[in-house]
Amino acid sequence: MEHEATQLEKQHVHSVYENTAAYFSDLQTKAWPRVRNFLLEQKPGSLVVDIGCGTGKYLSVNSQVYNLGCDYCEGLVEIARKKGDEVLVCDNLNLPFRDQCFNAVISIGVIHHFSTKQRRIKAIKEMARILTPGGQIMIYVWAMEQKNRRFEKQDVFVPWNKALCSRHFSESNQSGDKGDFVHSAKGQDIHPAQLVISECSYQNNLHPETDSKHPRNMDHCLPRACCMKISEEENRFYSALGRSFRSWFFSRSLDESALRKQNDKMKHLKHEGVWASSAVPIQHSRHCSLDLGHHGALLNEQSLDDDDDVFVESLSLKKPQWSPAPDALKDLSLNGGHQSVAQSKGDKASFINGPVEDKDCIYDCNKDGAGKSDASKVFKRTSTTDSTDSALDSAVSVGDQTDAMLDTKAFMRYYHVFREGELSSLVEENVPELQILSSCYDHGNWCIIAERRG
Amino acid sequence: MKLLTHNLLSSHVPGLRPGGGFPLRIELGRPSELPPEPSPGYEADEEFLRRLHHVLLEVEVLEGSLQCPDSGRRFPISRGVPNLLLSEDEA
Repeated sequence: MEHEATQLEKQHVHSVYENTAAYFSDLQTKAWPRVRNFLLEQKPGSLVVDIGCGTGKYLSVNSQVYNLGCDYCEGLVEIARKKGDEVLVCDNLNLPFRDQCFNAVISIGVIHHFSTKQRRIKAIKEMARILTPGGQIMIYVWAMEQKNRRFEKQDVFVPWNKALCSRHFSESNQSGDKGDFVHSAKGQDIHPAQLVISECSYQNNLHPETDSKHPRNMDHCLPRACCMKISEEENRFYSALGRSFRSWFFSRSLDESALRKQNDKMKHLKHEGVWASSAVPIQHSRHCSLDLGHHGALLNEQSLDDDDDVFVESLSLKKPQWSPAPDALKDLSLNGGHQSVAQSKGDKASFINGPVEDKDCIYDCNKDGAGKSDASKVFKRTSTTDSTDSALDSAVSVGDQTDAMLDTKAFMRYYHVFREGELSSLVEENVPELQILSSCYDHGNWCIIAERRG
Repeated sequence: MKLLTHNLLSSHVPGLRPGGGFPLRIELGRPSELPPEPSPGYEADEEFLRRLHHVLLEVEVLEGSLQCPDSGRRFPISRGVPNLLLSEDEA
């Protein structure tokens, strides 16, 4: 399981951040107020470390303390370094710090990237280890329960799209997670937890009227939807478009998977041939979820051939009933699949490789009834939608490759989103050296502050 | 990397004896400019404090490496950033 966990994170966390780091240099993201306050409350002369600091957004909040940042991603750390921050590259699970040397630790939007409970616990324990008795830690993780809706499952993939890294967005952006940002069009029913897939090319200026062919995309990376301020014009534009593209991708929890029997694998091999002919649509309604495969197939040693990569596969198929939305799948196909998500053959670590486990999987999220088919074994819809959107609204074209301008990449980041109380319980039950002082919900995150017992 | 940061670092190569990872040896050409131990009453010694402040916070290692005292494993520092990641085999 450790190996699978590291592979999953390598592909769907580290590699994504490394590849997208360059785009973050433009962002001037604001710090979350609560985190700012936590930092500002530290006594002058304190030693403070941001574990998972990204571009170093929190490292210059309080100049009266010694701020150190570290991150697994070299690309992001370089950016922080250029800003003059004191940073280093290391692994949260194995921190290169002495015991009990820091007065404060922050972990903002980090441990939700660990794919197993044990790793999440280890990360917290490591951070507790380096805290001096009486020292405090603040942890922020994405919440399953978002403002208007909730994720249906806890282990998800979130696409990232570079169209989001527009300077235009950055000013009004308020993010807490390595520069992720979200749109919240006012008055729109665009939920922070909804992700939009887009194939828009990277642009700095957003002029809706000139871009009818290339709808823009809002990557509603949770949880920050509520804080954006964008112009009315954009609001209207996005609201119109936003509804068209919403996707969540749900992964199977490695923790759950570890409990399953191996004989599931055998079933998969039989369905191998089916993939070649199947259309693989991305789910479309807000509540649709795609179960991307069972753990047994996650790191399937017996990888399927060329048809491994379902996203790539689907590009060649056209489904008339899908709306002529931009080719979201193109995004997901990861531009040749080199560095992004679903790697195709040869990559045993491909998360999306595996066929699903149940015969009755359906992937039709289209009310016209793309219907069940053998092909549908690839995805499993785990919830029904209560959305009032029309099928077209929510559908995303699979094989529709209209323009050549589709050059945006979409990287899928893995998140384990936390239920209410989960983070607290995790600490209470597994990290006795920490005592929780407070917990709250903040902008789509669960947050706790804990103190190292002394 | 500032020297104060170096003070906080410890090698985390698995299998070391307790405390065996600290301090990491900085490999550079420059000799230390400070006495090995602070003399008693150093808090009042303005001159000493200035030098200490300078060394801890105003000197940066840009290129070099940090060597684990017990295992000998080296961690590189480049462009001012130390990389303390262990490889998958090591960890």
